[in-house]
Amino acid sequence: MKRAILYGIILFLCGCDLIEYHPYDVRLHGETDINAKNIARIEEICEGKDTLRFVLMGDSQRWYDETEDFVKALNNRDDVDFVIHGGDISDFGLTKEFMWVRDIMGKLKVPYVALLGNHDILGNGMDVFLEVYGKENFSFRAGNTKFICLNTNALEFDYSHPVPDFTFMYNELQDTVGCLRTVPVMHVQPFNVEFNNNVAYGFHALLLEFPGVEFCLHAHSHTLLHEVLFDDGIPYIGCAAMKDKNYLLFTLTLGGYEYEVVYY
Amino acid sequence: MKWSIIRVGIMTMFMGVATIVLGMTDDDREQRRAERHQRKLQQYKSGWNRLIPKYQNIQYAGSMGLLSLGVGWDYGKKKQWETEIMFGLVPRFSSNKAKVTFTLKQNYAPWEVSLGGKWWLEPLVTGLYMNTVLSDDFWVKEPEKYPSNYYKFSTRVRFHIFAGQRVAFDLGPHSPFRRITAFYELSTCDLYIISSATNKYVKTWDILSLSFGVKLHIL
Repeated sequence: MKRAILYGIILFLCGCDLIEYHPYDVRLHGETDINAKNIARIEEICEGKDTLRFVLMGDSQRWYDETEDFVKALNNRDDVDFVIHGGDISDFGLTKEFMWVRDIMGKLKVPYVALLGNHDILGNGMDVFLEVYGKENFSFRAGNTKFICLNTNALEFDYSHPVPDFTFMYNELQDTVGCLRTVPVMHVQPFNVEFNNNVAYGFHALLLEFPGVEFCLHAHSHTLLHEVLFDDGIPYIGCAAMKDKNYLLFTLTLGGYEYEVVYY
Repeated sequence: MKWSIIRVGIMTMFMGVATIVLGMTDDDREQRRAERHQRKLQQYKSGWNRLIPKYQNIQYAGSMGLLSLGVGWDYGKKKQWETEIMFGLVPRFSSNKAKVTFTLKQNYAPWEVSLGGKWWLEPLVTGLYMNTVLSDDFWVKEPEKYPSNYYKFSTRVRFHIFAGQRVAFDLGPHSPFRRITAFYELSTCDLYIISSATNKYVKTWDILSLSFGVKLHIL
């Protein structure tokens, strides 16, 4: 009996990770507020640079092995400044899922930021996102390029929670001094069922107010997309999901931009 | 058969019944009614008595709450089957509100080994439980605003499987509890199994949930 109790205590002490109160308990341990920390790194790395190279990937969802392979592939190259995770970090919004992806992505040598995807809002996944990554709408500067990252998962919310948040966008519009180019990034592109399509035109028109918008980025569709959605030549470029084992590598120069699909 | 014989038969039966009924006094009738009433009452009480929980239980962790309290019934030839209902509390932690959960749990404990004296070991206890979050932030079926089959799963209801062991101690007939049982369980749930089955990265150890508990047997 004494031995059984002793074994029980040892098992308990060794396995504190084994204690879970609920799959949606949002009981977090480890790194939090990742976007803010990594934005500081990105801004430092890219300061004064005319040429930027960044990677867009997304929808890691339940493809942990593939996401791990992505991190390995990216760590083998040294020409990328930073990575953008386009959202759908988790598949079910479970607390543990965010921890798993955070631990995998945390092994990246370059800094990364992550957007909020519709799957990340399921259950109380958004509470995990807000704690682990930070705000649902955020922006940063890389050299003289402004990246504006937006929550566009309107179907998950009602009117009490503005998605997309035009107030945020207006405020960001007041902060474009010295900015030559703007790259809007979102999880869901306009005209998708998840988007608030009543405001699709207004949303796009407001984005065009930003200096130097040449293209917009998104994830969500699980397939490579390059679509001009508003008859103005501005493409919405979407990355595939991690299961397809590829990512988009963007190169921004003073003269323009180009991107390629890289398989790993 | 002759009509006269049938007529005699019917008359005899009628007279017999009439004699029994008319021969009864009011007291006899009253007594019979009281007995019948007692019998009915007994049946009614013993029927509901069978629903009185046999034991109370407390469980710590196990993906159903920080602490869950409930009651249970054991049944079967060797009392090897148990059904429990529990309410659990999940503190808010980094979310915006605390949660109350409800669990329906089915246990199977096929063996009981004497450890000598009043000590008993149940070397294997296994079963499954269903846990539901009592909150409108979680849904059983996705709300109508979504296209059909958009998410294909419920955020509100989880199905768990578990295995564990128990040690029991008999307290004797005049104690507040007949027997006290301590147990541990290792469990996992449907969404974790799906995640682990499709990824080498998610190890079995990553999806296991350890819990401890105590059963207090009354009946």
